[in-house]
Amino acid sequence: MIPDSLFGRLREGWCTAVDEYPTALAWSHRGNMLLVADAGGGLTAVAARDGATVWRQSHGDSVMALAAHPQRAVVASAGQDGWVHIWDLASGNRECSLSVPEQWVEHLQWSPQGDYIAASSGRYCRVWTAAGDLVWTSTEHASTVSGIAWSPAGELLSACYGQVSIWQPPDSAPVQCLQWKGSLISLCLSPDGDIVACGSQDNSVHFWRRGSGKDSMMSGYSSKPLALAFDPSGSLLATGGSTAVTVWCFSAGGPEGTAPVELTIHTDLVTSLCFARRKERLLASGGRDGGVVLWSLDGSGEGAPVGAVALVDAVEGLAWRPDDRALAVIDAGGGVSTFRLRE
Amino acid sequence: MSIQGKVPVSILTGFLGSGKTTLLNRILSGNHGKRIAVIENEFGAINIDHGLVINADEEVFEMSNGCLCCTVRGDLIRVLGNLIKRRDKFDYVLVETTGLADPGPVAQTFFMDDDIRREFVLDGIVTLVDAGHIDKQLGNSKEAEEQVAFADVILLNKTDLLSAADLDLLEGRIKGMNKMARVYRSRHADIPVERVLDLRAFDLDETLSRRPTFLEPEYPFEWSGIYELAAGTYTLSLGEGPDPSMSLVVLPADKTDEPGMFDLAERCVRLYAQDAEAVLDGEALGTETHLRLQLQEDGRKSFSLLLDSPARLALFAQHTAEEFDLRLLTEDGHAVPCQERLWVAQHEHDAEVTSVSIEMPGDADDTLMNSWLGTLLREQGEDIFRMKGFISIAGEPRRIVFQGVHMLFDAQADRPWGSEERKNQLVFIGRNLDEQAMRRGFEACLV
Repeated sequence: MIPDSLFGRLREGWCTAVDEYPTALAWSHRGNMLLVADAGGGLTAVAARDGATVWRQSHGDSVMALAAHPQRAVVASAGQDGWVHIWDLASGNRECSLSVPEQWVEHLQWSPQGDYIAASSGRYCRVWTAAGDLVWTSTEHASTVSGIAWSPAGELLSACYGQVSIWQPPDSAPVQCLQWKGSLISLCLSPDGDIVACGSQDNSVHFWRRGSGKDSMMSGYSSKPLALAFDPSGSLLATGGSTAVTVWCFSAGGPEGTAPVELTIHTDLVTSLCFARRKERLLASGGRDGGVVLWSLDGSGEGAPVGAVALVDAVEGLAWRPDDRALAVIDAGGGVSTFRLRE
Repeated sequence: MSIQGKVPVSILTGFLGSGKTTLLNRILSGNHGKRIAVIENEFGAINIDHGLVINADEEVFEMSNGCLCCTVRGDLIRVLGNLIKRRDKFDYVLVETTGLADPGPVAQTFFMDDDIRREFVLDGIVTLVDAGHIDKQLGNSKEAEEQVAFADVILLNKTDLLSAADLDLLEGRIKGMNKMARVYRSRHADIPVERVLDLRAFDLDETLSRRPTFLEPEYPFEWSGIYELAAGTYTLSLGEGPDPSMSLVVLPADKTDEPGMFDLAERCVRLYAQDAEAVLDGEALGTETHLRLQLQEDGRKSFSLLLDSPARLALFAQHTAEEFDLRLLTEDGHAVPCQERLWVAQHEHDAEVTSVSIEMPGDADDTLMNSWLGTLLREQGEDIFRMKGFISIAGEPRRIVFQGVHMLFDAQADRPWGSEERKNQLVFIGRNLDEQAMRRGFEACLV
C-alpha cells in the first residue's frame, strides 16, 4: 500500500552504471560527489548533480569497502589486494597507500573526527593517522573480523566469531569484551555508543548494553540478519534477515520481551537498510527483489511505506546523501541510481 | 529452482603429502575448458600465473545451539560470498582443505548457509590418500577416517610405495569404510579430470538416476582363474600369506563370457555359503564344494588335483592369487590361466568407521519410514557422515531418492518404477553404526 504513485516521496534522479559488480558506495562529506567501487577494482566518482563521471581510478584488485572522510574531501578504499588507498576527491589522485600483510581488507572506517582511519584484514584491526602513519595494530582475533565501528568516544569496536572487542588505541588489550558463542557476521553501534548490535550466522541478532552489561538474543529470523541500522535517536534498530524489515524498539523497557514490528512489502530478502540522518525515523530498505522502499516510522517502530521503486536487479547497497535530500542505490546489475526525496 | 546456473564446487581433502597440490596443478593445467577459481587453505602450495587463487584460513563456526549440523566454515561463506561478485571470471570452484580439516562443516556450509546455497552447489568430495601412509593414519587420526568416510571419490595415490597385494588389501579396507566412493589408483595424482570434477554427487536428479544401482555386488571371493587343462595330475601350490587359511571353490566352467562368469560367480556364492571342508597340506582338492585350505605351516603348501579327462576349470579364491603366490603346477611346469578376474570382496567391518548397506525388496510405509529415519538421524546423526539411496514407498509410483550429510536430509521423487522390481537400497557411512539394528529398523518399516 504505497500512497499516491509507485514513487510516493521518491523522485527519480539520474542513473548511471559501472562495468563490474558494484561492491560499495559512499557520498563525499559535502554530498557533491558519489563514489562507487566495484569487484573489478574500479573506483568511480560521479557528480551528485547529474551523475556525470568526474574521475575513474583503479584500486588494483576488487574493492571491499569505501569510507568518505567526515570533514575533508578525501575517500578511502580497501581491497582484496591488501591495500588501503586514500584518494583526493577533486583530482582523483592517490594521496597515500597503506599496506596490510593479511591480504583482503574488508572493513574500513574513519574515526568520528576523521583523525584516524581503521581497517580490518583477516584477524587483525589496524589504525593509521589520516596522513597514513600506522599507529596501532590489534592483537589477533579468534577469527576473521566481520565488522568494525568507532564509538563517539573514539573507541574501536570489532566483531568476530564469539566476541565483540572494544579497543582504546594505543592500548594493546581490549578495554571490554562482549562474548557470545556464535558467529557474529555484522556490527552496528547505537549513536550514543551504548548498544552494540550484531547479526549472527544462526539467524539471530545479539545485542549488548555496555552501560548495564546486559545482553539479549533476538531470534526468529528466516535467514542471516546481515543488514542492521539504528535510527538517529538510537531507540529503533531496523534489521534484515527475512523478506520483512524487522524493527526492535529500545524505549520503554524494550526490546526484551516485546514483539518486533515487521514491515512487509519486499518479496525477497532485505539486503540493505539505512536511516536518514536528520529526518525523524525515515528508513530506506533495499531487497534482493530489486525493491527500494521508503518507510516513515513512529517512535515505537510502527510505520508505513511512503515511497517505493522497483529496480531490475538485487539491491547491493543504499546511502543517504549527508543532507538527506537524495538516496543512492547500487544494484547487482551494475546500476547506480539516485532518488530525490520529496518533502 | 533449478541447479542450472549455480556454480559447482569440488572439495579436495587429504593429509599433507598425499598429493593434493599435484592434483590441483594437474587439474588447473588440464585441457578441460573450465575457468577454475581456487580457494586454498594451505599456504603457498600452488603456483599459477592466471586465474583466481584465494588464500583463506579454515574457520569452523559452531552455533550457540550446539547443533553439529549447523556447524559451518566461516571462511568459505566469506570467500565464496565475495567471489560470486566476479561470477563472470570463473565457472568452477575448487576448495583445497588442510590435512586436518573435518569435511562435515565444509559440506554443511553448502546446505546450511542461504547465500551459499543460492549461488553454489557442492559437486563432490575428492579425498587423496597417500598409499604408503594411510594405513597407519586410519588407525590414529579421526580426520583421516572422516575424510575417507565423506568422499565421493578416493584417489589412492603414490601406489608405487606398495605391492599390488598390499594395495588390494588397502583398497578393501577403504571400501569397507566407504562403500559409496569410487576408488581410483594413481602414482602422481595422474587421473583424468572427468573422474574428479562434475561428479554431481549431491544432486539427487543425477547420481541415482544415472546409476540404477550404485553399489557393486560383493562376493565372498576376491579372485578367480579359468584354466584349460588336459587330463592328468596337477598341484595347487601356495606360499605364505596374510591368513592361516583360505577358502577355495573349484568347479567346471562351461562359459567364460561375461554373463557366463556372473552365473558361475552366483553358483560359487551358494557354495561359499555352505560349511567348508578343511583340506590339509598334501591332501587332494574336491570340486564343486567349499574348501578351506589350511595354511598355518611355514613354507609352501601343496594340494593335489586329479583330472580323468580334459576340462575347463574355474578356481574361486577368497584372496587374490598374488597374496598367497597361488600357482597351479603341471608335472613339468605350471598352468597359466586363460582368464583371471578380481571380484569386489565383502569387507570385514572391523573398522570404527564403516558403511552399512541395506538392500531389500518390498515397499516401505511412509509414516513408519519417516519415524524410523527421523529417530535414527536424531539419535545418531552426529555419527552418520553420509547417506544415500532409494526407497520404494507403498502407494508411490515413483522411486524416492535421498541423500544426506549428518542430520541434513534431502529426498525427492525420481523416475516411475514401471515394470522394474520395486526394491530399497540404503547406504549409511558412519562411526559405530549397528548394522543389525539398522537392518531390523528398516525391515520393520516394510509393509
